Amino acid sequence: MNIPDTAYNLTCYFTWMGDDGIARTKVKKGSEVKLEHAQENSVVVNGFYVDSKFPLLIDARGIKSMEREARTFFTTNGRNTNTLAFAIIIDSSVSKAVGNFFLAISKPVIPTRLFLNEDTALEWLQKFRNK
Amino acid sequence: MNPQEANYIQERTNAILDVIMAYANLDFTQKTEITDKEDVFDAIASGVNMLGEELENSVITLQEREALLKEVHHRVKNNLQIISSLMNLQASYTKDEQFLALIRECRNRIISMSMIHEMLYRAKDLSKINVSDYIRTLTLSINSSFSGTNSNVVFKYDIDDVIYLEAERMIPIGLIINEAVSNSFKYAFPDCRGLIRIHFSASETHFCLRISDNGIGLPEETKTEEFESLGIQLIGTLSEQLSAELKILRENGLGYELLFRIEN
Repeated sequence: MNIPDTAYNLTCYFTWMGDDGIARTKVKKGSEVKLEHAQENSVVVNGFYVDSKFPLLIDARGIKSMEREARTFFTTNGRNTNTLAFAIIIDSSVSKAVGNFFLAISKPVIPTRLFLNEDTALEWLQKFRNK
Repeated sequence: MNPQEANYIQERTNAILDVIMAYANLDFTQKTEITDKEDVFDAIASGVNMLGEELENSVITLQEREALLKEVHHRVKNNLQIISSLMNLQASYTKDEQFLALIRECRNRIISMSMIHEMLYRAKDLSKINVSDYIRTLTLSINSSFSGTNSNVVFKYDIDDVIYLEAERMIPIGLIINEAVSNSFKYAFPDCRGLIRIHFSASETHFCLRISDNGIGLPEETKTEEFESLGIQLIGTLSEQLSAELKILRENGLGYELLFRIEN
């Protein structure tokens, strides 16, 4: 995932809106995501469009951990944002563990799936665009 | 596998196991280390840490609920005791024996219920009560309300010590015992001496509650269906509430036997 110059450089994430109407957020390597980092990212994502909804691609490769409050925030925040779906890219054992835990235990309220590569993740998110 | 690898596996496994044991003891202050290697141990450590967080949250929620439930039982018990005290206060303004007897009956009914709430908030398991403890405490209270400290009525218990019941069924059972025992005190022993037996047991499918006295019983010509006192009506209604089969025993005194299913 190439990070454009226009991306927001946050504490644990690089976040930007793609030309295809799909928002993207990439976890910085070795990040230990806490509630404030989740909130910081959410503020940026919510600022992309005010009146229309869009899907979000999350590149979780390289994540070290995500605390419970952050997982819960991402889960329940789906109710109050313009995000339509989450596609989460994972690779290492750790990101798999975090991703699967988020999916199975935290149970996000919007459609969420884990992917091993970016192309299939984007393909899946396409169907949520412009809803 | 070289000794260095073996040592690494041993150390990581032990560290993860230590944290799992801490969580098992409800100590959630510990976390397993996640290194930059991103290997399988880091994934397990990450999973264990997240499980610990979820477990801690569940334990806190459970403790909060328990505390809340205890508080509810405490308040219900206090409110019932206030009602009972108000009745006492009202009774102190009269010398009318009939009115005093009515007040006592009502008070005993209230106490039989308040005792359940008191036992529930003192118990470890907030949902169930030890039947034997409850019946003994209840009958002691009824005895003292009728006889003060000079009782010549003896209680004989044959109660299985390991039976526990939920409040939903314990309340009607308490009220039934209260009515039956109160009736014995009021009518069975003209010379204020006698024996009241209480039996509570469990078979494979049913509980059996039997309350009987060795008093004067009912006149032979009185038919069971002609019983009219509120106490007996209450026993009938409460038996229905328990879906119990009620039998009135009329040999050597008066008694009641209830059979109801163990599964609620």
